[in-house]
Amino acid sequence: MQKIELMAPAGNFESLQAALDNGADSIYFGVEQLNMRARASINFTLDDLSEIVKRCNSKNVRTYLTLNTIIYDHDLSIVKTLINKAKEANITAVIAMDQAVIAMAREVGMEVHISTQINITNIETVKFYALFADTMVLSRELSLRQVKKITEQIEKEQIKGPSGKLIEIEIFGHGALCMAVSGKCYMSLHSHNSSANRGACKQNCRKKYTVIDQETGFEMELDNEYIMSPKDLCTIDFLDEIVNAGIKVLKIEGRGRAPEYVAKVIKCYREAIDSIQDGIYNKEEVISWMETLETVYNRGFWSGYYLGQKLGEWSKGSGSHATQKKVYIGKGNHFFPKANIGEFKIEAYNINVGDAILITGPTTGAKELLVEEMMVNDKKLNEGKKGDLVTIKLPFRIRQSDKLYKIVENKVEA
Amino acid sequence: MVVITLQRNKCIGCNYCVEMAPKQFQMSKKDGKSVLLNSTNKKGFFTLKSNQYNILEASENASKACPVKIISVKLV
Ligand code: SF4
Repeated sequence: MQKIELMAPAGNFESLQAALDNGADSIYFGVEQLNMRARASINFTLDDLSEIVKRCNSKNVRTYLTLNTIIYDHDLSIVKTLINKAKEANITAVIAMDQAVIAMAREVGMEVHISTQINITNIETVKFYALFADTMVLSRELSLRQVKKITEQIEKEQIKGPSGKLIEIEIFGHGALCMAVSGKCYMSLHSHNSSANRGACKQNCRKKYTVIDQETGFEMELDNEYIMSPKDLCTIDFLDEIVNAGIKVLKIEGRGRAPEYVAKVIKCYREAIDSIQDGIYNKEEVISWMETLETVYNRGFWSGYYLGQKLGEWSKGSGSHATQKKVYIGKGNHFFPKANIGEFKIEAYNINVGDAILITGPTTGAKELLVEEMMVNDKKLNEGKKGDLVTIKLPFRIRQSDKLYKIVENKVEA
Repeated sequence: MVVITLQRNKCIGCNYCVEMAPKQFQMSKKDGKSVLLNSTNKKGFFTLKSNQYNILEASENASKACPVKIISVKLV
């Protein structure tokens, strides 16, 4: 059985570190404005490239730069700069959809991955793009049977990319699904002048809509009003079948998600992939992974089109259906390295012994633990309040840029 | 006076401001972001002060069209 690569989203250094700490084989990220998360206030900049590569190299993790928006004439020179800088910094590959980006990356000899927006659905298209790219995402509408046919054909016809290796097929394993063709939707352009194809999706499909007959004013009653908001894709319960389809890369969606999302999703899929490899993948584990996945952002899960379903499933409500949420408590103040004790300044709410806490930061990533005991203003107490300095024994280092959260149950409205 | 401000670092380079107000905005070939012509930069906020009131309407349209809302137009 071939080893599959687990690819994690990294929207910022917190998520990047969370991906590295939890077993990702590769990460993808965007810089500046030319990626599908151009809107995010915290995108990486060109100056971050070397730090990203340094952190990933130390763990043998591959780095992919997403350059997958539509490209205008006025973008061409920044595209060139980005590609040159990426090459210089030893980024593994560029994820591209526009032919200009593909051509420019090939010109400098950079590895190219074909982005989901190109929507490859057949073997001839694979052959066409094999002239330029080594890895390709297949369209989300293919069933696993169809995916398998394509991977078998690659093997049979020995279809190779510029690197001389067989073409590797990548598919989405987990995360948000689009109502429209992934990344090729005009909806938010129509309503807000905010083009998804330029990384500025307003996600207005995620809302309740009513269908009204213009002639009579009759409002159609719909069982579920979120008719344009698909549930999230989750494949952990049939991951063995996915591996069997001969894919090489399993991509996790979510560059806009919080670091604890990346930490938990990557951890679950890492364990699942490893257990398939070791031949111990089983139902009980699947149930516990699903429970973990439900604790972080999701719009309800379904298994996509891979198993041949005829229609998508719609989300049953607005926002996230996560079973847990985080509440901000305070920030890192000091770390005592000899004793491995972290000191936090409490700025909101209380912290109690027995609380599940989450610490996030650009170098710390996202770490969760249970408070077994703590000192509050140098006294051993069970509760810390706003304004207090609280120290907790930790199995890792914290920094002043770290944030401390309490994990609580999330009451979801039905 | 018409005061236009562009918070340039947040620009996603979509070109709408240029479509609405080609006399005030231009796309930079260098970094693919919008340039507010004849403006002065203060910590990433590019400001143009003008007594030509005829630029008001186009600039307001640009401000409305900008998907990341980084153009402000004021009359002072
Ligand atoms: S409309 Fe806004 S985001 Fe688009 S180019 Fe102009 S300033 Fe930039």
